[in-house]
Amino acid sequence: MINAVEIRNLTKKFGDITALDGLSLNIEKGKITGLIGADGAGKTTLSRTIIGLLVPDAGEISVLGFNPATQKNDLIVHIGYMPQKFGLYEDLSVLENLILYADLKDVPHDFDKMLEFTSLTTFQNRLAGDLSGGMKQKLGLACTLLGNPAFLVLDEPSVGVDPISRRDLMRMVREMMGSETTVLWSTAYLDEAHSFDTSVVIDKGKIIYDGIPSALGATAQEFQDKVIELMGGYKEEESQIAKNYRYRAAEVDLTVEADNLAKRYGDFYAVKNNTLKIKKGEIFGLIGPNGAGKSTSFKMMCGLARPTEGTARIMGIDIRTDPERARSNLGYMAQKFSLYGTLTVEENLEFFGAAYGIGILDRGKRIDDIMEIFSLKEYADQKSEDLPLGLKQRLSMACALIHNPPILFLDEPTSGVDVRMRRGFWNHITSLAKKGVTVMVTTHFMDEAEYCDRISLFYHGETIAIGTPAELKEKAGATTMEDAFINLIKESEKQ
Amino acid sequence: MGSGFLRRVFALIKKEFITTWKDPKSRSIIVFLPLMQLIIFANAATMEVKNIDMAVLDRDKSVESRELISRYESSPRFRHIYYMDTEVELQEKMDNQEVQIGMYINNDFSNSIKKQNPIEPATLLIIGDGRQTNSSAIATGYASQIIAEYSQEVTQRRGTAIDAIVRNWFNPNAEYQWYVLTIIVAMLSVVVTLILTALSVAREREMGTFDQLIVSPLSSFEILLGKTITPLVIAMGMACLMAAAVTGIFEVPFNGSFPMFMLSMFISLLSIVGVGLFISSIANTQQQAILYVMTFMMPSMLLSGFISPIEDMPEALQYFTYLNPIRFFMKLTRGIFLKGIGIEEVIVNLIPLILIAVLTLTLAAKTFKSKLE
Repeated sequence: MINAVEIRNLTKKFGDITALDGLSLNIEKGKITGLIGADGAGKTTLSRTIIGLLVPDAGEISVLGFNPATQKNDLIVHIGYMPQKFGLYEDLSVLENLILYADLKDVPHDFDKMLEFTSLTTFQNRLAGDLSGGMKQKLGLACTLLGNPAFLVLDEPSVGVDPISRRDLMRMVREMMGSETTVLWSTAYLDEAHSFDTSVVIDKGKIIYDGIPSALGATAQEFQDKVIELMGGYKEEESQIAKNYRYRAAEVDLTVEADNLAKRYGDFYAVKNNTLKIKKGEIFGLIGPNGAGKSTSFKMMCGLARPTEGTARIMGIDIRTDPERARSNLGYMAQKFSLYGTLTVEENLEFFGAAYGIGILDRGKRIDDIMEIFSLKEYADQKSEDLPLGLKQRLSMACALIHNPPILFLDEPTSGVDVRMRRGFWNHITSLAKKGVTVMVTTHFMDEAEYCDRISLFYHGETIAIGTPAELKEKAGATTMEDAFINLIKESEKQ
Repeated sequence: MGSGFLRRVFALIKKEFITTWKDPKSRSIIVFLPLMQLIIFANAATMEVKNIDMAVLDRDKSVESRELISRYESSPRFRHIYYMDTEVELQEKMDNQEVQIGMYINNDFSNSIKKQNPIEPATLLIIGDGRQTNSSAIATGYASQIIAEYSQEVTQRRGTAIDAIVRNWFNPNAEYQWYVLTIIVAMLSVVVTLILTALSVAREREMGTFDQLIVSPLSSFEILLGKTITPLVIAMGMACLMAAAVTGIFEVPFNGSFPMFMLSMFISLLSIVGVGLFISSIANTQQQAILYVMTFMMPSMLLSGFISPIEDMPEALQYFTYLNPIRFFMKLTRGIFLKGIGIEEVIVNLIPLILIAVLTLTLAAKTFKSKLE
């Protein structure tokens, strides 16, 4: 038996939606297979069907010689499954979580090696809820790896994780797997997928590519372009959003300034001496490992967190002394879809329009216009929580831009979004910047960092490097942004 | 700034109404809670009491007294009649709640009837259990009715009356069954307001929309205003409906002035909104918020005078009740409803409520901000 998984004509429907449409696939034993696809392409449904959490409507499926639909209990002991959000118990310590999962899987309590190479040894008594995002994912993966399962199914384990932790996750899997271990790894990072043995691209419930990644593209970049092409291609069009944007704010040279911002918890500085001067029309990126303080800095600059020392100015207005006026210049978009799910598309726009001070007489027209620009007209009366992810993101952006703000704050806006949609998103952002909008963005995607005019790299609460992407790469002696990130962090650690 | 302020607050209020109504949790609180309460009280707080057990101490042991007692025995509402020999026995029966009412017939009962003296009629004591105001009132009512019927027959034959004196033990000032029903009006609006407001900020925090509100130009005062007015309007509406049901269906008389009632409702509920919003501002999740509501509700219900009179509490606890908005709320609803208390007494009870409202609302607004880390 050379295949761990054999699937023939698998179909799964949810109501009217066909998630898997006559899908056939073999997954080779002892290999890492990357699963790539747009949001809603059927990746999670496929993973869940393979391990028996979902029962298919039609078709044959065999996993390690078992039928997951009928022999789930025999199969499950051979499987390590890590869902998108792994069920860590946040009120238990790292060690207690490991003990719990070891007991559930009935394997011995032998965690030394596991702790060591997740570099969680020093944190073993810390509560899981207090870990940074990257460390949580590592702990989740460690729990999944307990008992050396023969088949690992990982559903986007690297979403929202910084490049260093991502490499750690990859290293953990590669080191723990034996020659017989099979891995199915779904991911939105195409550089990650490029390094796997096999790539499977899924679209609308069907497999559209199954083969070695290097056959698609020799480099990660070429691979990414090819995948986008396979998924229907991305045509760079003029951004309608930017075209209809009118810069109406006062002409200010330095639109966002951070002045010695600091955030202290007791003796511990989460952020220290953060000084930034961002020019009008600049795209400024904040990057850094999880828990380095970039998120706190970001929050202090837009008024979501109160600085212990220093201050920030938005369009020259102090965020501490005149917060309401300073914030009226901001458009804000967060990683989580944070609009009112029970409100319709139109009601959301109406609320944010009014909250940002658009008068009742202009509002109707403005909402009409913005729904037109963002192609949201046909969804006007739909509850926003029922929209697919792509539309939700578009609505978030529409709400953030409804008052023509001169500044946009984006907090990991593309986390969990597929590569094609990310391209479209960045097209809008770069075009808006050309119109004079200042953009402040945090991201974990290093290819996105390339879109920034300048980047500030955060580590241990301080800026350790600042400059254009080219400058940072040169400073680190690296060819890609990801290598630059890792080199600069390592360098700073030595000092 | 003026029109901008109104515009933003209005937008918030509108949004609050829509989200409150569309959220299945809050909608069921608004619709089912009052409905359930009404149904339960329509059935449980029924005006009919059956299977009454009565203890009788008959000191007279005359034909007349026996005849009277036999009428109780044949009445379908009375189940057991226990004959007591001493007052201590009667006391015990009442103490242990083995009987709902007691009757004491003095040894001059038959003589008085025979004397036919209209100035000094035969007297008879009926004892109710004041701990169970509602059923006790009804049971003593039935008991008096039987005496009245008997008295009428006696009068026709001999031309004199029996005067039944009703006493409530344990709670001598017990008011009537209406007491409970008026309290329900207050109780229900308290519960609904607390839950609605406690969930409101916590829900937004869970969804991530609260961050979105904070980065908007809305000030904390405007957010507070939007979060206050919506539940206040809903709770006021509900309180009016319940009051209408209580007067309409249960025929509880409304003795006070309506504007005064509305004013008291408004200020009382404002203080409850303050408590709810404060709870919501310190809770990170809706689950936490509900737990805090429980923690607040239990002691404040017990210390409100609903279950036992405040005057009977230990002195230290009595002072403690001055912090409890529900205490004043109860007093106002009951007072205006049943007694029609005057403006002075209303004001005396409103002042602490205003203070509590100002304090809790300020705290809530402050906590919104300090929660920003």
